[in-house]
Amino acid sequence: MSFTTPYFTLPKFTYFKPTKLEDALSLLRQYKGKAKVMAGGIMLVNLMKERQIFPEYVIDIKGIEELKRISKTENGIKIGSAVTAIELQNSLIVRDNLPVLAKAASYMGDRTLQHTVTIGGNISVGMPSTDGLPALMSMDSLLRIKSQDGERTIPASELVIGLGKTSLKDDEIITEIIVPYSSGLKGTYLKLINASEVAITTVAVSVLLKERKLSVVIGAIAPKPYYFDHKSLQWKWEASLTENLKNASEIIGSNVKPMSDAVASSEYRKEVSKVLAVRALKEVFGGA
Amino acid sequence: MKTISLKVNGITKEITVEDNELLLNALREKLGITSVKAACWRGECGLCTVLLDGIPVKSCMTLAVEADGKEVITAEGLYSDERAKKLMESFVKHGAMQCGFCTPAFVVTSHYVLTKNPEVDGEELKKELNGVICRCGTYYQIYEAVKDAEKYYKKETKS
Repeated sequence: MSFTTPYFTLPKFTYFKPTKLEDALSLLRQYKGKAKVMAGGIMLVNLMKERQIFPEYVIDIKGIEELKRISKTENGIKIGSAVTAIELQNSLIVRDNLPVLAKAASYMGDRTLQHTVTIGGNISVGMPSTDGLPALMSMDSLLRIKSQDGERTIPASELVIGLGKTSLKDDEIITEIIVPYSSGLKGTYLKLINASEVAITTVAVSVLLKERKLSVVIGAIAPKPYYFDHKSLQWKWEASLTENLKNASEIIGSNVKPMSDAVASSEYRKEVSKVLAVRALKEVFGGA
Repeated sequence: MKTISLKVNGITKEITVEDNELLLNALREKLGITSVKAACWRGECGLCTVLLDGIPVKSCMTLAVEADGKEVITAEGLYSDERAKKLMESFVKHGAMQCGFCTPAFVVTSHYVLTKNPEVDGEELKKELNGVICRCGTYYQIYEAVKDAEKYYKKETKS
């Protein structure tokens, strides 16, 4: 038995698995516009099955060792883009210094898929349901992007520019994610999943507190995650937590414009955003 | 077309596959391994789970060419493992199935979990198995069966 209809099969393409980054970049240049980068490949395979994309060439970057490293440097924790969700959760460097990211990684698909899903793939598809991007944005992370012409570094918040659209050019690869860290970081990542058959994120909230710097990122409700900091939330450090939460919840409610789709309506997402943000802030401030 | 070499359940095989062929199809149609089930085709149900170099992956989301040079273990291959045999017996003993369609995937996944950590915490075990769906809803029996089989894996690690 062989299924030939879409959904069960993939469109025709040629597969490459380079072991050096230079080779991957030169292939991407050679087949510019016709090639897609594959890391975990979950989104790529599904989009191809649904015949939404038809790449002629697929370039698998899982064989490139330098994209699979996690290291701690003075400038921040450096995470290769092909590091999987399980590796993020198991890495002591990530668990000790970036617990928010480890928690977000534990939400990336189900446990079996987490062995396959990569952080680079998770953020670079440009889908609102990404767990990596809100977490990385709340930590003011930087993305290192390479092409044959050289490299550039952009803040994680500048990656997504629309639904399924990113500022990545056709011949560019995210090679590394640089996450600043310091002691005394507090944060959490909360998410609501619609209890339908599909485990697609409805709302995700990532909160990070570093001394007197607060950031709240609300993901999954619009093509691009919403970023709030203590200034835009008009956070008063001297005021009581109850007062601040009430204020923050109102500001979030009047500033977000969530999308309506098969998963949830705009109104519902707005309410859940407020509730989750308050819950996350309470957790971070220790309910004090 | 590419010729790939796969070590399937201990035996190295060479097969010719298309670049766009799924590992699931290669296993079922070219190698006749039918414990690997095709159901949702989009990485949700987990019934096509196999161990690729010892790590559980959903074969409907994996290209056959990605598995080149790697070792694939399916439920069939676990017969040669004494501990896994006891695990399967435990599934029978606890009635951890109704239609049985998801059983190979649950056996493969729980074998991976128990090999990694035979003293897995109850809540953690539920999380570890959340990639496979049982449409009959025998989750509780599956949980009991895996918990019961922990002892065989513990013994193995001590000796």
